[in-house]
Amino acid sequence: MREPTFLILTALADRPRHGYGIVREVGVLSDGRVSLLTGTLYTALDRLAAEGLVELDHEEEVDGRLRRYYRLTGEGLAALTAETARLRQLTTAAEERLRSVRPRTA
Amino acid sequence: MTGPLTRRYRRLLLAYPRAYRRARGDELLGALLDAAPPGRARPTAREAADLIRHGLRARLGRPASRTVVAWAVLVAVVSGVFAAAFATRAGWETARPLPRAAEARAMLAEVLPGQEFDDIEDAPALFVIYGQPLSWNAAHSLLFFDGGEYAQAGVGGSAVGVPARPPGETVELVQRNLREHGWTVYPTTLRDMYGCVGPPCDPAAIPTGATIVARRGDTTFTMEVNPAYAGNPGYLGAVFQRATPVAVYPFGLVGGLLGAVVAFLVFGWASRRTEGRHPARVAVKPLLGVVLFFWWVPTLWTLPLAAQHHLDEPHPSWHPMWEWLGQPTFSLLFLVGCGAALLGLALAALPRPDREPVGTVPRAG
Repeated sequence: MREPTFLILTALADRPRHGYGIVREVGVLSDGRVSLLTGTLYTALDRLAAEGLVELDHEEEVDGRLRRYYRLTGEGLAALTAETARLRQLTTAAEERLRSVRPRTA
Repeated sequence: MTGPLTRRYRRLLLAYPRAYRRARGDELLGALLDAAPPGRARPTAREAADLIRHGLRARLGRPASRTVVAWAVLVAVVSGVFAAAFATRAGWETARPLPRAAEARAMLAEVLPGQEFDDIEDAPALFVIYGQPLSWNAAHSLLFFDGGEYAQAGVGGSAVGVPARPPGETVELVQRNLREHGWTVYPTTLRDMYGCVGPPCDPAAIPTGATIVARRGDTTFTMEVNPAYAGNPGYLGAVFQRATPVAVYPFGLVGGLLGAVVAFLVFGWASRRTEGRHPARVAVKPLLGVVLFFWWVPTLWTLPLAAQHHLDEPHPSWHPMWEWLGQPTFSLLFLVGCGAALLGLALAALPRPDREPVGTVPRAG
């Protein structure tokens, strides 16, 4: 799973969000490192929806602007859980190696 | 939602297909405006490039596909190349008619005085197949692998009887006279009249033929000078042809770009139509394979050969573009590809059982 996909799924993990809400949350989650553009986000959402990982939750209009909220499906939650476990295993392995190389700083 | 920024975003959203804009346009626009800082009047270049790129991706449909972009690029490139070749053929129509027989005779008299040439006749067209302009009568030859006979016509002839001068003297004289009469003379190509690898044959003793090529304005000149050997009396032949007209290049460029854009849009339409529960969703994939095979393989086969040919011999004017693509030698294969493409498009046009618009995200149940 690529990083933007992982971040989008993570952004939707706690509650449904609309497009700009996802962009903002991805920025927060990545400490401002990843800034999703709207076109990129919607292509990713289309793909994730086609793969059955996200679905439409509800829509509302705010200040004349249409907002559609997306949420994780059961499959999406499972995919995010599996990817998180994979990344945790990699991170743990990397930390162990770093500790053996730099015991004081790692 | 109005204002200059909204208008500009809406303009950029035209990169997305119409059905997608209907289903998601307002939502995308809302997200874009939400993300825009106050006071912004126009999208940033990065935003614009992102919307165009992803709008074009949306035109291909099949959002979960990892390969549809590659297929679209293959279709657009090969279609653009063929469209460019057709356009260059149209560009060739701007060429001046070939020199008349009398003019060719006069030019030959300047180049090689005192040498008589036979069979000099007016050319019936700029391009001919077996000496005749292209017509329905030539369809069989054109389609069944004799298409290589469709080539640029020339006006020229061969020496009557044994050439008046020895080959070496002829080559020197022709080169000198051509330069004196304003021709640009290209390096002469020499070739052995027969091949041998060693004793009892002495490679140094093999007679050598020469090809002289030159250009003046929009006219090219080619002369073959072959020595007499083993009972062969020798040969001297010359021909004038037209160089590629300047208009061919813009015609090719514009035709190629138009062809690629149209092919991309048509491919995207068919791809979107045939995703999901469309009755032809299975049939269109092998048809696409047939199209790509019959359009790409002859092209990839011929292109390096044509490039090598141009590197090996000086060319005052390059061969027409379609010859680089193996056309019309492989025109039958090209037509099979066209047939498969039309059949695929006809199948894609079949009505869909559902009316779900493109870009609709499933709603939570």
